[in-house]
Amino acid sequence: MRSLLLKAGATCLTVAATALSALYVTAHLKNPAAPLQPAVLTSSQGAQVSALGGKLTVGPSVTPSNVQPVTSTYAS
Amino acid sequence: MPREVGLEAHEFEALGTSCSVFCVGAPHPRLVEAEHWVRSMGARLTRFSEQSEVGRLNAAAGRWCAIGPQLESLLGESLRAYEMSGGLVNVAVLPSMLAIGYARPLSEGRPVAAATVEARPAPALPAVLSIRPGSARLEAGAGIDLGGIAKGWMADRLVELLGPNSLANLGGDLMSVGAGPHGDGWPVSLAGTTLLLHDQGAATSSVRRRRWCGVHHLIDPRTGLPSGAGLEEVSVVAASGLEAEIVAKTALLIGPELAPAYCASHALAWWLSP
Repeated sequence: MRSLLLKAGATCLTVAATALSALYVTAHLKNPAAPLQPAVLTSSQGAQVSALGGKLTVGPSVTPSNVQPVTSTYAS
Repeated sequence: MPREVGLEAHEFEALGTSCSVFCVGAPHPRLVEAEHWVRSMGARLTRFSEQSEVGRLNAAAGRWCAIGPQLESLLGESLRAYEMSGGLVNVAVLPSMLAIGYARPLSEGRPVAAATVEARPAPALPAVLSIRPGSARLEAGAGIDLGGIAKGWMADRLVELLGPNSLANLGGDLMSVGAGPHGDGWPVSLAGTTLLLHDQGAATSSVRRRRWCGVHHLIDPRTGLPSGAGLEEVSVVAASGLEAEIVAKTALLIGPELAPAYCASHALAWWLSP
């Protein structure tokens, strides 16, 4: 009888702790719609254009421009 | 090429290619000093001279050899490049280079023979290169050619010499620091498109140049033979000139199927040309 009471008490305590934890976490969510930071870049997410017979992909940390370049990267 | 107000530029031939350095807000003599530094480093790092540091290290294979701090740093970066590229950027390809006839600078004439049958897969770099403070050791029979990473490494060092708003371009492998001549980044052409770089490097790897007798200079260390992976040219923007050089070369070697995913995880912008 005593061991049965102990088992029942332990079960109730576990269920109560789980329920209270779930309530606490739900009530303290920050913005659940916030995007992942930093953004994850994949080859399909970069801005991709055709250039000189190949594919040019530009990620978010590089800015294309229309100004005259001072130099270039090239094969040597 | 238009000159911006406050933008100093200097062009010269070194390292077997065309080099240019740019600086905003620094005196022109600093650019000339940069040229001298490039020539000095080039003379120490070339494998074509037995008197250079690299030449002496190659000749001393099998025993420890005293090296300067710059070569020690570059050899350390060589091991990092090997790891970063999964073994594809491997400076221990000298035996393969010699096997295809690339035994002297191309400015001294085309290689006379291409004995590709002698080529073997390159050894794992960590297995043949040991470094300790002030000295390095190559295993007997091993040899290194730093041509695949030295220009990017030198460009990274050179902007430290030039100043906080500068760009160094050594044969297309370049590094930029600061906000550039207009304050919005250094305008650099990549595949015909102008990109604004800010504390970023760029490099191009290609099999279209340095070709002779049906072979080219870009060795695939897995085979010891010139690469035939399917891409002909790759340009990359990355966090530094050295990283850009490593990523561009790796992408070219792994081929068109894997290169986009590799570049997406290692580069900031990239151009792949089949």
